Amino acid sequence: MKEFKIAQPQSLEQASALLAEKSTGYFLIAGGTDLLDEIKNTVIAPEVLIDLRSIPGLSGIKTEKTHVSIGAMTRVAELAENPVIKENYPGLVEAALSLASPQLRNVGTVGGNLCQRPRCWYYRDVDTICRKKGGSRCYAFRGRNKYHAIFGGGVCYIVHPSDLAPALISLDADIAIDGPDGKRDILKLEDFFALPQKNVRKENILEPGHIVSEIRIPLPKKGTKSTYHKFKERGTWDFAVVSVALAGTVSNGLSTDLKIVCGGVAPVPWRLKKAENFIRGKKLTEDIIKQGAGQVLADAKPLAENAYKMDLLESVLPMAVSSML
Amino acid sequence: MAKKDVKLAMEESNLWYDAFASDQTAHAPKGDSAETGQDFKLIGHYTKRIDGEKIVTGKAPFTQDIKLRGMLIGKILRSPHAKAEVLSIDVSAANNLPGVKAALPMVRGNIFYAGQMVAAVAAIDEKTAEKALELVKVEYKPLPFVVSENRAKEEGAPQVFDDRPNVQERRGYSRGDVEAGFKRADAVIERTYKTTVEIHQPAETHSSIASWQGERLTIWDSTQAIHSVRDELAEVLQIPASRIRVIKQYMGGGFGSKLGLNGQTVAAAMLAKEAHRPVKIMLTRKSNSLCVGNRPSTFQTYKGGVKKDGTITALSLLSYTSGGIRGGDRSSEPMIDVHKCENVKVEDYNIYMNTGPSKPTRAPGLVQGTFGMEGFMDELANEIGWDPLAFRKANYTTKNRGGTGIPYSSKGLDKAYEIGAKEIGWHKRNRVPGGGTGRIRRGVGMAAGIWWGAGSPGTQADVKLHPDGSVEAICGTQDIGCGTKTHMAVVAAETLGLNPADITVRLGNSDYPWAPVSGGSLTTPSVGPAVRDAALKAVEYLMEIAASKLKVPASQILLGNKNFSDKSDPEKSVPFKEVLGELSHEMIFHGERKGLPDGYAYNTFGAQFAEVEVDTATGRIKVIKVVAVHDSGRILNKQTAESQVIGGVTQGLSTALFEQRIMDDTTGRMVNPNLRDYKIATSMDIPEIVPLFVDIVDPRINNLGAKGLGEPPRIPASAVIANAVYNAIGVHIREIPMTPDKVLRALKKKEVAK
Repeated sequence: MKEFKIAQPQSLEQASALLAEKSTGYFLIAGGTDLLDEIKNTVIAPEVLIDLRSIPGLSGIKTEKTHVSIGAMTRVAELAENPVIKENYPGLVEAALSLASPQLRNVGTVGGNLCQRPRCWYYRDVDTICRKKGGSRCYAFRGRNKYHAIFGGGVCYIVHPSDLAPALISLDADIAIDGPDGKRDILKLEDFFALPQKNVRKENILEPGHIVSEIRIPLPKKGTKSTYHKFKERGTWDFAVVSVALAGTVSNGLSTDLKIVCGGVAPVPWRLKKAENFIRGKKLTEDIIKQGAGQVLADAKPLAENAYKMDLLESVLPMAVSSML
Repeated sequence: MAKKDVKLAMEESNLWYDAFASDQTAHAPKGDSAETGQDFKLIGHYTKRIDGEKIVTGKAPFTQDIKLRGMLIGKILRSPHAKAEVLSIDVSAANNLPGVKAALPMVRGNIFYAGQMVAAVAAIDEKTAEKALELVKVEYKPLPFVVSENRAKEEGAPQVFDDRPNVQERRGYSRGDVEAGFKRADAVIERTYKTTVEIHQPAETHSSIASWQGERLTIWDSTQAIHSVRDELAEVLQIPASRIRVIKQYMGGGFGSKLGLNGQTVAAAMLAKEAHRPVKIMLTRKSNSLCVGNRPSTFQTYKGGVKKDGTITALSLLSYTSGGIRGGDRSSEPMIDVHKCENVKVEDYNIYMNTGPSKPTRAPGLVQGTFGMEGFMDELANEIGWDPLAFRKANYTTKNRGGTGIPYSSKGLDKAYEIGAKEIGWHKRNRVPGGGTGRIRRGVGMAAGIWWGAGSPGTQADVKLHPDGSVEAICGTQDIGCGTKTHMAVVAAETLGLNPADITVRLGNSDYPWAPVSGGSLTTPSVGPAVRDAALKAVEYLMEIAASKLKVPASQILLGNKNFSDKSDPEKSVPFKEVLGELSHEMIFHGERKGLPDGYAYNTFGAQFAEVEVDTATGRIKVIKVVAVHDSGRILNKQTAESQVIGGVTQGLSTALFEQRIMDDTTGRMVNPNLRDYKIATSMDIPEIVPLFVDIVDPRINNLGAKGLGEPPRIPASAVIANAVYNAIGVHIREIPMTPDKVLRALKKKEVAK
C-alpha cells in the first residue's frame, strides 16, 4: 500500500472540482469497503482520496411528492431498515440484505454499491494487466471464467457485482449526478451503466469530476410488487452467481408491466426485455416463464466454464416470479 | 541457503505421512497398560479451556502481538512467474533507502512456482519495508511452465524439474490376486473420484520473530513444531541446535501448514542477523495461499468386484496426485485397510507441476482416499442392492490390512456405526439412491474413517513441585488450538488430586523436554501419558512423606480433594500443600510416554452420518445435520474433544461444498488467493453437528488408553456429504467441491442416461 492523502471537501462542488483536477490518482471514497481492498492489494494506488463522508446532506432517505429520495451516502444497513423502503420496495430490501455481510452493510453505502469495481479475479490480480487496466487482452475469455458474463461480453467479461442495481432498475429508479460546474443531471439508472464496448476501463458513464449524489425511486403504483432472488454459492458473504430482480403489478396471475433485471450475468445489470415482452399479459405459469427465459437465453454466449449460469437463470426466474403471485 | 531452498522445495514429500504411518512398534520398549480409571474425576469429563478466557478476550499474545525493543518489520518479495531463471537480483537500491536495515536475495537459480520467495527486506516500519520491496530489481527469464495436472501429464508438456519427468510412479501395494478376485465377482465396477487442491487457510497467517543475542537465536514462531523448527533452522543456518530456542504460546490454526520450518522464519533469522536487530515477518493472506503448503489434488480410479452376498472379492486403485513442486498424497490407505478384502492392488503416480509445494493438510491422503473409497463403497453396495451400512458391517474386520494383517489393539467402529445410525435416523434414507421426488431431495449417507494417532513413544514431560504447594506441568509440546494446555492440566490435576486451575502449565518452548510435532493427531496421546507418568512418580514420592506424617503405610493412603488421607480412617488426613511444605527445595519428576507393544495395530476410527437437501433446480446442497461418532480411545476432556470434532466436520463440509484453489494456465498464477474467492463455509452454512464418542479405553496403547483426535473428524467429513447427496439424487458427484455447476451437470447427465 502506497501513501496517499485524504481530502475532506465540505461540498459536492469542492469534491467535484478536486476530482476534475486530475484524470488519474484521485479517487472518491464513500464506505471504502471495496476501495480499501483495492488499495491494500495494490490494484490501485491513489494519490488522493476524496472523502465523501465530510460532505453534509448526502445521506438519508426522504419521501418526496413523486419519489423516494435516497442519498448516495446512505448506508446499506440503513436502507434495509428504513420503514418507507420496507413498505414500498420489498425487493430492494431483499437485495440489500442479500449483499456482503452485516459488518460490510453497516459501512458500505448505496452510492458505493452502485459504483463498486468488478470482482473479476484477473482485474484484481496486481500482476495481470488486462484490458480493464489498459492491457490488450481479456484473460477470462479463454481462462478461468466460472463466475464471468454470459451476456454482453466481448471486450471484457466481467459481471457487475452490485445487488442494489438490478433491484433499483426494476423499480425504474433514477440517478442524480453532480458535475464540476454545479450542474445536476438526473437520468435513468439503467442508462448509467455502460458495457465494456463503450469504455472498457469503466462500468458506467461517469465523466471525470462527476459524482453520484442521489437515487430516486418513483412512488409505487397501487398493487406494485417487487422481489429479489439471489443465487449465491454459500450462505452469506458471496456475490450473485445469478440474481433476478422483479417489479411490477400482478393481478389474476398475470402482469402487463413486469420488469426483469438480472445480476451476475453481464458487465452491467441485465434487463431481460425479450422475456418481459414474451410474458406480458400471459398467465404466469412456470412453463410460460421458462419460455420467456428461453427467449433471452438464446442470446447467451457462455464461456467454457459458465454455461451453468443459463440453467440457473432458467430455474431462478420462475422461482422469483412465483414468489410474487 | 539457496541450495537448501531448492532442496526444501523439491524434497520428496510423504515425509510426515510416512512418519505418522510408520510401524512404531519397531523399537518399542515395554509398554504401559491403561488403568480402568473408573473413578476419574476430571479425565473423561468436561473441563473448560484453562486459557479460554484469555483467548476470547484478546489478552492471549499471538506471535504478531509480540513487540521487542528495536524490532524491525520484514517483508518478502515473491515471484510473479510460475517458472523463471533469475538472472540477477539487485538489492542495493533497497538497502540504500533510509530506514532499511537489511535486504537480502533469497533465491539463486530457478523459480519453480508463482509466489516463491525471491528477496527479503527489513526496515523500521511496514511502510518503509514495502517501499524497499519495490526497489529490489530482479531480472527474470521466464520459462515454460505447467500448472494443471492434466497438462503436466501430456507428452511434451513443459518439464517442471530438469532431472526427472513430470509423472513418476511411486511405491505401490499389492496383496492376493486381484484378477482372480474380479473373476469371482458377480459385479465389477470402475469409478473415478477427484479431489481438488485445498489451502489450509489458518485464521492466523504465518508469522515469525527472530532475535539474536550474540551467537544465540530466539525465534517466536507460529508453528506446530517448535523442535522441528529449531532443528531444521540449525541445519539451514549451519549453527548448533543448542543455540536456538523456539517459542510458541498461542496460535490461530495451522492444519499442517505450520509443520516444520517455513520460509518466513528463515528470512526473519537471516535479516535479523544482518541488521543486528530483531525482525518480525507476518505473511499476507495472499502469500499464505501460495507458499506455505496445500492439500494435493487426487484422481482416484477404483475397480471393485462384489458378490451378491456382500463379499468384496477384489479392489484396485489407480491413483494420480499432485502437490505442485513437492510430492502428492497417498490416497490408498482407506482401501488397503478399513474394509475386509483379500485381494488388493495399488498403482500410484505423482505429478509435478509449477504450483506451490504441498504440505500435510489435516489427515493427508486419508481425506482424499476416504472421499474416493467411501464413495466407491456406496456405489458397490448399490450395485448389489445392499444398504450401504449393512454392506460395511458385512465387511467389518478386527485385523488390519482388510482382515489379512495383525489385530487392532482396539476398534470401536462397529459401535460407532450403531450409535451414529440411531442418532441420524438411518431409516429415513432413500432405500434406492435418488428415490425421492420433487424439486428438493433429501438424502442420508454415512462414511467410515481410519487414522493412526497412537502418539510418539519417547515423549517427555516434567512435573515440578514447589515447597509453597504450587505445581507445574512442563512439556516441550505446543498447543495449536486443540487444548493441549488444558489436557496437561487435567491429567496432572487428576493424578495429584488437585483442580486444573492449581496446575501451572508450561509448554511451547523448545528448551522444555521433548515432544513430537503437533501433527498426525500425535499430541494428546504423547503428552498426556508423559505428564501422567511424571505425576504418578511425584505421587509416589509424596505418598512416602504423607505416610510418615500420618503414620500409616503409604499403601494405606488415598489422594484426592487436595488431601492425603488414611483409607480406613478418612478423618485422618493431611493437606496436599502441607505435604509439599516438607520439601526442602523444588523437586522435578520426569515422565515419559512408553512404547507400543508389538503385534498390534494402533488406529483411531470414526463413522459419520449426514442428512442433506439438494435443490435439483439450482444444484445447491444444504447440509441439515451431521452426526460424528469417533473412537479415539479414552477421551481426556469432553469439552475440547467436542470442539475438535465440530471443527473437523466444519472443515470437511467446507471442502466438500466450496473450497478450491483455481489456477490459471495462461499466467501460471492462482486466481483466488483471498478469502472472497477462495470460499470457506460461513456460519450460515454450518448445520447441526452432533459429536459423540465410543469411549473405549485402549488396553495397551499408553497409560491413559487415549488415542489422537485431531485428524479423525476431518477424514470422513467430505465423503459423508457426498454419500448423502448420492442418496438424495441418485447420482454420485465424485468430485469435490460439489459446487452447483457440478451438481447441475451430473443431474443433466442422469437425465440423458434415462
